[in-house]
Amino acid sequence: MTAVMPAPSALTALISSHSPPSTLSPHHYNLALQILHNLQYQHSWTSLHIHTHAPLTKTPLPRPLISGLPPKRIYVHPDQQIEELKAGVNDDEVDVEREWVLPTHVLEKWSLRKFAEVFDGVEEEPPDDEKGQGDGMQIRDEVKGRRRGGKRVLLATLGDDSTVVYYVVHDGIVKPRQN
Amino acid sequence: MTAPTAPSLPFPVFQVSAKVVRYLLYDINVVTWLRKNHNILGVLIGTLPQIPQQNVFLGLPLELQPEEARLLVEKGLAYLMNDLQWHEYQSASTTAQQKEAFKENIKQEGARIAKDFESNKKNRTQKALKQIQGKTTPTPTQRSSASPGPKKEEPTLEESPSSSVLTQATTPTPSPEPSQAFAPQPKPWTITPTTTYPPPSPPPHTSAPDLPTVNPASYALFKHLHNRGYFLAPGIRFGCQFSVYPGDPLRFHSHFLAMGADWDEEIDLLDLVGGGRLGTGVKKGWLIGGVERDGREGGGGGELGEGERKGTARVRTFCIEWGGM
Repeated sequence: MTAVMPAPSALTALISSHSPPSTLSPHHYNLALQILHNLQYQHSWTSLHIHTHAPLTKTPLPRPLISGLPPKRIYVHPDQQIEELKAGVNDDEVDVEREWVLPTHVLEKWSLRKFAEVFDGVEEEPPDDEKGQGDGMQIRDEVKGRRRGGKRVLLATLGDDSTVVYYVVHDGIVKPRQN
Repeated sequence: MTAPTAPSLPFPVFQVSAKVVRYLLYDINVVTWLRKNHNILGVLIGTLPQIPQQNVFLGLPLELQPEEARLLVEKGLAYLMNDLQWHEYQSASTTAQQKEAFKENIKQEGARIAKDFESNKKNRTQKALKQIQGKTTPTPTQRSSASPGPKKEEPTLEESPSSSVLTQATTPTPSPEPSQAFAPQPKPWTITPTTTYPPPSPPPHTSAPDLPTVNPASYALFKHLHNRGYFLAPGIRFGCQFSVYPGDPLRFHSHFLAMGADWDEEIDLLDLVGGGRLGTGVKKGWLIGGVERDGREGGGGGELGEGERKGTARVRTFCIEWGGM
């Protein structure tokens, strides 16, 4: 008469194998883990990392941020897209950029202040632990340049049915893509 | 179209009455000048008095958004005028003599338009006749053999366009066509002036300006974007406060669907997701913005803060687009 519990899901196993750091609420940390799991296995992101401290100031973040490398570019500024088209550069010839991901839940309430705090804590490009060991892709000279559009964060919103939606949030006025 | 001439500043912005807070402009010159030089769009709301259901092509008056009216008053370009009060004052102080003169003026204008229309009509007829004649003249042998009549007609038709066009408008000199000389004076057209009283002398302008009341959160965002050269149209069509155009909406699609918020106003994430998705669906970005405040409980959002009144407040904006994954 002993009930045999099914083996925990991959996600549950991941969450229970990590203990949240003392600076963060367990809810926020587990949320970040679930988003990380989604990015890694559903969207094939690599070199994912959960940040608990602001990279610039080293102060604890109010909530964790994820940084990672998407399989292909998440965001191309419209001006850069035009330049690449003119130069005849294919999408796969340009290096992907590391992105910040902000894990949230759909029932949360946000405010302008909270968004400002997130953006004030990060630099334009997330720090890369594995810099220098890229997979050989090079940015072609024609389109080489700084990241455009200023700071951006990928807002990952988790729904109750564990759907995750991703929205690009820019700091400031950035003209929209014409896709 | 000719470039609009600068109106005498400040010009009145008419508030319908003390109770009805809608801001109207009646002068087409002011409307075009504002659009060209100050990126102010407003919405044309005038329709035909007899066919109000015709709402595809609207004309004067132009209704300004409260934010637009506020901006114009703050810049000292305009001042508020109570339309009802002013209208009553104006109609009471107009003498019967002035009214008669105004009516006479309208009648003369109508007569002038009718005359212009008649002469244009005649010109067109003559041009058409000339064209027909040009087509038929290559076969003169056939005509002359048929009857001698048309031959006489030809010279009169040939010379009439050039001579009559010049004389017709000025003095009725004896013309080759008898019908024109004895043409009755055309009936004056009925014209509807855009104002109901004689062209007003600018209404009295008090030195202490009344400011149109606005939502401080959305006004700060409006001002921020307007200062950067954007055109802002009402955003109800896209479920936002303003649709933001990078140039005149006649030339550009809008870039953003803007929503103003207080610094600590709680925003449902679902609203951001919905807004971002809607914006991306129409190739626009969802833009939220508001005035940055330092303190935890700064201002409270009821009244305009010190910085906002001075225009030094820092407005932060965030643009949201669908991530595509």
